[in-house]
Amino acid sequence: MIYKWRRLGENSLFLAPSIILTLILGIYPLFWMLRYMFYDYAGYGEALFVGLDNFRRLLRDGLFWESVRNTFVFAGGKLLLTLPLSLLLAVILNGKLRGSNLLRGIYFMPTVISTAVISVVFYNIFNSYNGMVNTVLMKLHLVSQPIDWLGPKHAMLTVIIVAVWGAVGNYMLLFLAGLQSIPQDLYESAAIDGANAGRRFWNITLPMLAPVAQMVIMLAIIASLKGYESIMVITEGGPIGKTEVMYLYLYKLLFPVSTGSPVAQQLGYGSAVGFASALIVGAVTGLYFFFSRKMNKVY
Amino acid sequence: MQKKWLGLSLSLMLAAGIAGCGGNNNNKGAATEAPEAGTAAPAATAAAGGNTAASEPVQLKYWTDDRHDQEYIKELINKFNETNGENIQVELTVMSENYAQSVDIAFTSNQAPDLLRLKSGNTAEFVKKGYLAPIDGYLTDDMKTKFGSVIIDNVNRIDGKVYSLANTGLTLRLIYNKDLFAKAGIANPPVSLQEMVEDAKKITEAGKSEGVYGFALNFKSPKAAFDRSIREILSLSGYQGLGFDLKTGQFDFAPYSQTIEYFKQMYEDGSILPGAETLDIDPLRAQFAAGKIGMYLSFSTEPGVYQDQFPTEINWAGALAPTLDGQIKGTSEIVSAGTWLGISAKSAHQEAAWKFMQYMYGDDILKTYHEKGFGIAVVPSIVEQAKKPEINGMEGFLVGEHDSLWPAVPSVTPEGSTYADAFFKYILAGGDAKAITEDLNTRYNAALTKAVEKGEVTVTPDPAFDPLKPQGE
Repeated sequence: MIYKWRRLGENSLFLAPSIILTLILGIYPLFWMLRYMFYDYAGYGEALFVGLDNFRRLLRDGLFWESVRNTFVFAGGKLLLTLPLSLLLAVILNGKLRGSNLLRGIYFMPTVISTAVISVVFYNIFNSYNGMVNTVLMKLHLVSQPIDWLGPKHAMLTVIIVAVWGAVGNYMLLFLAGLQSIPQDLYESAAIDGANAGRRFWNITLPMLAPVAQMVIMLAIIASLKGYESIMVITEGGPIGKTEVMYLYLYKLLFPVSTGSPVAQQLGYGSAVGFASALIVGAVTGLYFFFSRKMNKVY
Repeated sequence: MQKKWLGLSLSLMLAAGIAGCGGNNNNKGAATEAPEAGTAAPAATAAAGGNTAASEPVQLKYWTDDRHDQEYIKELINKFNETNGENIQVELTVMSENYAQSVDIAFTSNQAPDLLRLKSGNTAEFVKKGYLAPIDGYLTDDMKTKFGSVIIDNVNRIDGKVYSLANTGLTLRLIYNKDLFAKAGIANPPVSLQEMVEDAKKITEAGKSEGVYGFALNFKSPKAAFDRSIREILSLSGYQGLGFDLKTGQFDFAPYSQTIEYFKQMYEDGSILPGAETLDIDPLRAQFAAGKIGMYLSFSTEPGVYQDQFPTEINWAGALAPTLDGQIKGTSEIVSAGTWLGISAKSAHQEAAWKFMQYMYGDDILKTYHEKGFGIAVVPSIVEQAKKPEINGMEGFLVGEHDSLWPAVPSVTPEGSTYADAFFKYILAGGDAKAITEDLNTRYNAALTKAVEKGEVTVTPDPAFDPLKPQGE
C-alpha cells in the first residue's frame, strides 16, 4: 500500500510540469476565449458585453464563409494529393530498395524545415515575373507567356502544391511505420499461394494498414483544415481572398497585419470565429470517425 | 530505490537550472517600478538616468520599423552610448514587418522596449492602449518654442498631453523611370490619371518584349499599396486620401472609387507588371531598380532605398502625383509627420530614455537626418538651417508649395472587408462600383458611430475645410 502511494507521488511529481503547463497554456486560454465570445473587446480598455452579437455577425460575415469554402478546397486538394502519394512512397520505400534510407531522409526533410522558410522559397520559385518555374517552362517552350501562379486563378493550386510538398514526407513516415508492423509471413504465404504484387497490396497491405491509415487520415484532415502558415507567407490570403482560409482569417482578426496605420484587434469577434472554426474542424473529424469506424475493425 | 531518488534529484536540479536561465529579464516588473509618467518634473524622477553612473549601466531598448535609416541611427546610438557620461546604453532593434503587432505582443508579455518609433498612424492607438508616457514634464522652454508649431492634435498631442515631437514627414510622389518614358516617347510625367493610364500603356507596348511594364504597386497588401498611391492622388485632387470627408465628418468613398477606375483600366490594359497581385514592396523596388517598371507611387524614403538597399543605374525621378482631372485642387499630404520617438509608459528608465530622446532631437542630428535624405524636415528651425539633401532623386520629393500637413482622421475597424480589399477586388474581378462604394460608406460610418459612442474617437465636422490650406493657415 505504501509502495503504491509512493509510486503515485513519484508519478504526480513527474507529470506535474506538463499538467501545469497544459492548464496554463491550453485550458485557461480556452476559457478566456469562451468568455470573450460574448464581448466586444479590442485587447485593451473595457470589454463591452454584447451577448450574441458576435454570432449574429458571424452568420452574415461573407468573408468568413468564403474562408470556410476555401478551407475545404485547400484541405480537399491537399488530402487528395498527399495521402495517395505518401502511401505510394511508403510502399516503394518499404521494399528492398537500394538507398531507401537516404530517400526516406530526403522525403522527410521538408517536415523539419521551417514553414516560413519553405514558403519564402516557394514564393520566389512561383512568382510570375522572375520565378524559377516560369523561367524553366518558358525555356522549354512549354508556355509563351509567364503563368501567374500566384494570381487569382492559380493561387489556390500553388498553395496546395506547396502544402503537399511539405506534408508528403511526414505521412509517408507514418505509413511506413504501419507497413513495417505487418507480419512478413502473411506476404510469404500469399506469395506461395501465387498472389502477385498487386493482389498482395489490395488483399494484405491495405486491410492490414487500415487502423494506422484511419489515424493518419484523421491527423491529415485536422492539419489540412487548420493549416494556414505557408499561405500567410506566400499570398497573405490573397489575391482578393482567393486563398483566405479559416484559420488565416481568424489570425488576422486576432493579430491584424499592420501596414503603417494599425487596425484594431477584434478579440471578441475573433473568439467567436475561433469557436466556430473549432466546431467545424471538430464536426468534420467526428463525421470522419463515424464513417471510418469499420477501418478500425479490419485487423 | 536510491538510484530512483538520485535520478529525481538530478531532474529537479536540471529543471531549476533551466528555469533560472530564463528568468533574467531586464523589464521584469517594469510596470510596477516605473515612475509616474513623464508629467513629473525631471528632478523628481531621477531614479534611473543619472544616479547609476557608477554602478550597472542603464540598458534601454529602442524599437523601430524604419529600415532605410538604420545605419545612421546605429551610428548615432554608438556615439550616444560612448559619450552620454551617465552609463546609459541604448540597444536598437529594427523590426521588419508587423511592427504594431510586435509592439502589442511585447507590451502584453511585459517585454516592452523603453523607446519606440512612433508614426502619426500609430501614436493615438498606442496611447489608447496605455503604451506611452507623456513627455510634457520634460519639455524645456526652448523645445516648446522649437517644436510648438508642429505639435498637432490627435497626432502627437492626445487628450492635451504631448507624447512625441516632430522630426520629418514623408512626402508622396510618382516615381518614374525617365529612360523608359523616353523610350515610349513620353516627355513628362503624367499630370492626370487619364494620362497615367495612357503612359502606362505606351511604356508596356514599347517594352513588354523585354519584360518591361508601365505600372506596378505592392498589391500583396492592397492597403499598403493604396495608402501610398491613391491617398496622394486624392489629397492633391482636393479630397482626404483615406476616404474620410473632413467637411462632413463622415466617410465617403465616392472620390476613391473614381480613382480606382483608372487603376482598373491599367489592369485591363495589361499595363501592370504581371504578378503584382502578390508583389511585396521590396521585390517591387528590386524590379524597378532593374528597369522593369515604368512608374509607381511611394514615399520619400525611396531615394534612400535606391542608394543603400537597391543601388541602381537607371535614370529615375520623383514628381508630383497625377490628379483626377489634371487640376491641382488640394495639397499633397505630408504623411507620418509630427511624431518620431516616444517613451514607453512601462519603462523603468524613463528619465534615461528622455536623455536619449533629447539627444536625438538635437539640431545637428535633425539637420543631418534631412540632409542625408532619410526624411523631409518639418520643424521650421531645422528647415531653415538644413541644406538640401545630397541624395540622388531626392529633389523631386522636397516639400514644396503643394505639400502640407493634414488633420488626423479617425481610424476605425469596420465589419467585413476594408476599403482597400473591396476596391482591389473590384479591380481584379469587377462588380458594381456604386454598390461597393455605398456598402463601404455604410460599414465605415457604422463603425465610426460605434467608435464615437464608445468614446474611442471624436469627430468634429469642418464645413469650411479647405484642402488647399488643410491646417487653416
